[in-house]
Amino acid sequence: MDVELQINNSASPGARFLTWAPSPGRIRMTNPAGATGSTVNVRITSASAASAGAVVFRRGATGAFANSITVPVPVNGTSVPFLVAGRFGRPSTSNGDVTIEARAGNTLVGSVPAMVRIRKNANTLTPAERDRFVAAFAQLNNQGLGRFADFRDMHTNVSSPQAHGAAGFLPWHRAYLLDLERELQAIDPSVALPYWRFDRAAPNLFQLDFLGVSDSLGTVRFSNSNPLQFWRTDGVQGINRRPFFNTGSAPPGLLSEAQTLALGTQYRAFRTMEGNPHGMAHTSFGGSISSIGSAARDPLFFLLHCNVDRLWAKWQRQNGRFNAAQAASYDPGAHPVGHNLADTMWPWNGITGNPRPPTAPGGALAASPAAAAPGPQPTVRSTLDYQGAVSAAARMGFDYDDVAF
Amino acid sequence: MTELQFAALVDGIAADAQRRDGLLDLLREEHAVYRDRSATAIARMRGWVLLALERGGVSDAALAFVLEELDTGTDPYLVAAAARALRSYPRPGATLVPFVLGALANIRYRDEPLSFAAYGHYAVSATGTSAVRELLATLAWLGRHAKGAVPQLEALHEPGGLPPKLRGDVRRALQAIRDAGQGAEEAGAVSCCGAQAPPPKCCGSAAGIDSVLLEDHAGDRIGFEAFFGGQPSIVAFFYTRCDNPLKCSLTIAKLARVQQGLAAERVADRIRTAAITYDPAFDLAPRLRAYGQDRGVRMDAGHRLFRAVSGNDAVRDHFGLGVNYVGSLVNRHRIELHILDAQARIAASFERLRWDEREVVAKAVEVLRIGGR
Amino acid sequence: MATKRKAAKKTQRAPKRQASKRGASPTTTAHRAVAITADARRPPKERTAAAAAAPLAVCESEDDFQAMLKVLRDGQAPVKVRLAALQAIQAASFSVLAFEGCRGDYIATLRQVAEDPDPELRQRVLGMLMREKDGFAQKKLLEGLHDPDKALLPPEKALQLLGNDVHADTYEVARAIARKPPNEAARREALRLLGADATAAPLFEKLLLDKDELREIRQIAASALYALQPDRMQKHARDILLDKSDYDDIKATSLSALTQLGDETLSDDKALMKSVDRFSTGKTTARYKQTARRFLSKYGR
Repeated sequence: MDVELQINNSASPGARFLTWAPSPGRIRMTNPAGATGSTVNVRITSASAASAGAVVFRRGATGAFANSITVPVPVNGTSVPFLVAGRFGRPSTSNGDVTIEARAGNTLVGSVPAMVRIRKNANTLTPAERDRFVAAFAQLNNQGLGRFADFRDMHTNVSSPQAHGAAGFLPWHRAYLLDLERELQAIDPSVALPYWRFDRAAPNLFQLDFLGVSDSLGTVRFSNSNPLQFWRTDGVQGINRRPFFNTGSAPPGLLSEAQTLALGTQYRAFRTMEGNPHGMAHTSFGGSISSIGSAARDPLFFLLHCNVDRLWAKWQRQNGRFNAAQAASYDPGAHPVGHNLADTMWPWNGITGNPRPPTAPGGALAASPAAAAPGPQPTVRSTLDYQGAVSAAARMGFDYDDVAF
Repeated sequence: MTELQFAALVDGIAADAQRRDGLLDLLREEHAVYRDRSATAIARMRGWVLLALERGGVSDAALAFVLEELDTGTDPYLVAAAARALRSYPRPGATLVPFVLGALANIRYRDEPLSFAAYGHYAVSATGTSAVRELLATLAWLGRHAKGAVPQLEALHEPGGLPPKLRGDVRRALQAIRDAGQGAEEAGAVSCCGAQAPPPKCCGSAAGIDSVLLEDHAGDRIGFEAFFGGQPSIVAFFYTRCDNPLKCSLTIAKLARVQQGLAAERVADRIRTAAITYDPAFDLAPRLRAYGQDRGVRMDAGHRLFRAVSGNDAVRDHFGLGVNYVGSLVNRHRIELHILDAQARIAASFERLRWDEREVVAKAVEVLRIGGR
Repeated sequence: MATKRKAAKKTQRAPKRQASKRGASPTTTAHRAVAITADARRPPKERTAAAAAAPLAVCESEDDFQAMLKVLRDGQAPVKVRLAALQAIQAASFSVLAFEGCRGDYIATLRQVAEDPDPELRQRVLGMLMREKDGFAQKKLLEGLHDPDKALLPPEKALQLLGNDVHADTYEVARAIARKPPNEAARREALRLLGADATAAPLFEKLLLDKDELREIRQIAASALYALQPDRMQKHARDILLDKSDYDDIKATSLSALTQLGDETLSDDKALMKSVDRFSTGKTTARYKQTARRFLSKYGR
């Protein structure tokens, strides 16, 4: 007897990536040999090492998640849906480190490897996770020839009004990071964008084998085995980054996470975090990351903004701010183009010419086999419900290690 | 020649009514005086020439240089100098308004305080002028011809428009337009935006061009005439390290749209497209390919991105390219796109101003049809 | 002294407590922060801490903005306070739309401070201006490289900042400094800058192959050659890996380069694969062995 398990409604291995938010799963009989009735009770469960990812299941749209569920699977091949999610607090450390199993009685009748792929604190990545991320990022840059050039070109002085100084600051950067992360996953699907938790010491991040060590001039050095040593942007090699603080500690003067989350329960108040901690994190350094037009030249920029997005996600979870229909979830009123809820966002919308920038690098937002949302031309609105808390279809396929569903 | 010597030269020419046309010569990108200068030095130098033009009055021949700076300029000093120079043009008209408004949109978030007190002087105070202020003053100068700009100016005057500090300038522009009375808005002598392709250029004999060896985005090599002969073609010029988003990046993105236009006209197999880099030493094949891919360019046997592996000077001479260099790197160039006939002769050119994709397609189709007779 | 310190601490804490009691909005807190930063009677530590809360208010009111600029320009103020004000203004500049009205004064003030007596302020401000490709800053830095009496920054820093604009006229002076450097850091930065000069490829080949050259210089050369002439880099990377007398660190760099750029022809290169295989199991660091294994994995070994 054999069954087929599908994750995210696909048989493709590229779809077997889970987050804390529930993903749709399906099971169907492919070989009913040994079945005696019209259905077979199949127990869906998982197996993984203690240090690996773990998953939970649920039959329907409501109710508690459990370590296993039992579903009656028709022998005629009809699919039976279920929901599967990563167990909060148990992210994977490598692709396929958790196996989803289907058993009829004690007999294993189907299994698929999966990954609970979660954005983690960069300071606590395992060496293997770090190396995979760095290798993928360096490949994306490909010494200036890779797709990273588009991401650099999306964040310049010319394009800055699309993404800064108005309500759409957080949504735009959420879409930007997601686009980049999906491009990294096209290189190595086990990679999730890590975040630099800038209100805490992150000494592991500023090492030769990770994002480099700055000398007194601010020139960043890498180990001879770190592929980031070939990093190139704007036709110029290397990264300039001069910390104004001891990288064994957190930069001073930034609002802590608690202070940031306490800025206010309305989005209008919360988004003032653009000044502090966001702006202050940028300007805790000299070098590329400290100016808006050059910031995206430094890979650290993306980890900085991943933390900014995590703070937004945590604030959303804390205050229940996923529903764009609620005024508190977003800034009501009229905003510049690209910052209103119904606006599509440049560059993914391909719209060029005043008031948008003259070109739209990168094309549509990258697709993912693990999540359909937010679509190739996301609106501001579509970035709010990233977990599918309001509508399951809005789930975007990323989650943070410390923000539950 | 030092920059100060250059400034003195410009002032001397400007002061002599008999020699004033010489200022236009100094605005040619390929002029030897710009060789081995940084891009910011060139901005200072060209700005000074534009200011000299302002003193003597901008002629029809000079207008293209002024409009070019408004159309694609990203340096506040140059844009401001162009805005001032425009105010000395004897025939203001409504066709100038989109250039001024476009420049305002391009420069407003990159503006800086400016000083025209002396050559090479940089403002260390914000009490003087800026590119936005000069552009608003030019709209005021346009008077009744700028009636079409009133809705945009009114929006700039509202909260969410220009900052409060600049709203006085906006009000003055609006007042000037309204005070200019009810006279008819005139189109002006200028027809805008590259619609008029200049007459065909030189080079019937193509001497030297047959020595040119091109390498494409795939690393394949081909002679100039082998690619460009036999069919009409469209060729643009660019380089991957261009940091003006209104020039090269946009040119290549628009070339992709031209290719789509040719396909829609079902002539994509009968009209070739190409882009040749100004920077052949740096823009190797993988770089060309990545640049083209990132901008959606079709790349195959009939549509290629090239660098000249030999004969780069011959390419420059053949097309009379408007480009100059600091060392091996481009320091200044104009927008230029040419349509070649089946004998690889230049049949039409679009220079300086941003060209319209549909016009380029239409012109190329016309060249194809003429050649077919 | 102890008594005074305690008093200062109380003053430092007080504004935050009062703000939370009143339920002050972030904007109100930011306005107060500007006032504290600008108040020369307050202790420097308090002013510096307050500046961190100021970005929100910096461009909201013209008075607040001018107050912060004044602190930045004030040569009598403690440098740490001035740097904190600079950071707050710079953080505010990320809100581009809101900052539009402030930009003119911002640029003007940065240019004023570019020649400040304090070297750290000069360095930061010139860095900020150069990232904007400011002609004023570029002119000053180039003047300083040609005439050390006019230098606002050490040559190595000037070169690094000038690298923010590839269109600056720096290649000639960089070549001169690379040939005859005032110090090793200047040589290094000159070489980094020349990595954007297509005509410098032969120089980088020479440096890469020179076993007596500093490790870091060879690494810079490898990276530059990789971009300027990738075919040559592939050839030299291979030769380095086959050379038993060359150093492990440059072998690791070569392996990283080949893992990224190496083409499929390397798969048939038995001598290379054998050499890398030996490297992956030999007496070298675990990191370098891992790099070798990554390379071998790419070619299915």
